[in-house]
Amino acid sequence: MLDMVTLLLISVAVGLVGSLTGLGGASILTPILVFAGFPVKEAVACGMVAIIATSSGSASTYVKERIANIKLAMYLEMFTIIGAIVGATITVLIAPVFLYFLFAAFLLTSFINIRSSFNKYVPPEKQDGLSKWLGLEGSYYDQAHDKVVKYKGTNSLLGGLGMFVAGIAAGMLGIGAGAFKVIVHEKVLKVPAKVSTATSNFIIGMTALAGVSVYLFSGLLNLTLMAPMAVGVTIGAVAGGRMLNRIHDRNLKILFLVIVVLLIIQMLYKGVTAL
Amino acid sequence: MSQQDVGSGENKLETAISYLLIVGVVVSVILEAIGITLYYGTHGNVQISQNPTVFINGKDFFAFIIYQTQHLFGAQNAILFMTLGLIILMLTPYIRAITSVVYFALEKNRKYVFITLFVLVVLTLSLALH
Repeated sequence: MLDMVTLLLISVAVGLVGSLTGLGGASILTPILVFAGFPVKEAVACGMVAIIATSSGSASTYVKERIANIKLAMYLEMFTIIGAIVGATITVLIAPVFLYFLFAAFLLTSFINIRSSFNKYVPPEKQDGLSKWLGLEGSYYDQAHDKVVKYKGTNSLLGGLGMFVAGIAAGMLGIGAGAFKVIVHEKVLKVPAKVSTATSNFIIGMTALAGVSVYLFSGLLNLTLMAPMAVGVTIGAVAGGRMLNRIHDRNLKILFLVIVVLLIIQMLYKGVTAL
Repeated sequence: MSQQDVGSGENKLETAISYLLIVGVVVSVILEAIGITLYYGTHGNVQISQNPTVFINGKDFFAFIIYQTQHLFGAQNAILFMTLGLIILMLTPYIRAITSVVYFALEKNRKYVFITLFVLVVLTLSLALH
C-alpha cells in the first residue's frame, strides 16, 4: 500500500498534468488509487476533493493573469451543475460496469474532435444574438506568442447544452469532465484553447463540490488519503497554472492527446475485466 | 458594452476572487501538511490508515461544518487539522460562487446577478439536501 509521502509526490505530478490539460486530475488519480489497492468508492470520493484542489489551485493563477473568462464560466456553470445532479441520479440507477464503457466512450469523443484544433485561433465571423447579449468576449496576453489575443464566444445555447452533457458525465463518473468541457469551449463556443482550459478549471471546482457531498457523507472520505492528495494536487496545480501561459498550444494538445489515449485504454480494461 | 468595458469591469472581480482562492488554498494546504506531520508524530509512520477514526461522516455540508467546529478540540490533533483543511478547501468553490453574485450585484449587472444566483442556489441546495 502507498504511504502518504509517496501519494503526495504522485499527486504533485497529477495536479501539474491536470491543470495543464484542464482534465482536473481525478480521472488520473482515481485509477492510480484503485491500482494501489484502495476501494474504488473511497478513491472516487477522494478524487472529487482532488478536483476542487486542482480547480482552486490553478484558477487562482489563471484568474490573476486574466485568462479565465468569468462571465463565460458562470453562464456555463448553470448548465453543468444541473447536469451533475442529473448524472449522479442516473449512476444510482444503473449497473457499475456500464460506467467504465461510458467513461471510455466519453473520452474517445474528445479524441476525435480535438484533432482539427491544432490550428491557430481564428475568431468566429459572426457572434449570435444570445452570446452578444451575454457579453461573451474578452482578450488575454499570450506570453508564448507575445501578443494580445482578442476573442468572441458564439453558439452559447448549444454550448450550454454541451456543458449540460459534461455535467451529466461529471456526476455519473465522479470526474471533473474537464476534457469534454475544453472541447465544447473550443469547438462550439469558439474560444481559444488557453481561455478554454482556464475557464474549465475555474468551474470544475463548483461542479465537483455539488457532487462531492454524496460521497463525503456516505462515510467514504478517508482523511489520510485526502490530505496528501489535497496538498500534492494543489502544489502541482499552482505550478501548472504558472506554466500554462508559457507553453505553446501544440504542446498542450499533444500532452492532452497522450493522456486521453491512456485513460481510454485504462477504462476499457477495467470495463472488460468487470464483465 | 465595449471590449474595454468588459476587461476593466471584470478586473476587480478577478483580483478579488484570485486573492480569496489563494488564501483559501494556502491555508488549506498548510493545515493538511500540519495534519500529516502531527500524524507522523503520534503514529511514528505515514501509512494511509483504514481505521474508522480517519473517515468523515456527516449529514449535509453545513451540518458537517457546524458539528466539526463544535467538536474541534475533542478530536486527535492530526485529524483536527486535516478536517479543518478539508472544510476550507471545500469552501473555496462555494465562496467563489458567493463572491461572483456580490460582485455582479455591485456592478448592477442584473443578467449576471441572475446567472450567478442561480448557480449559488443550486449549489447550496445540493450541499444542504443530503
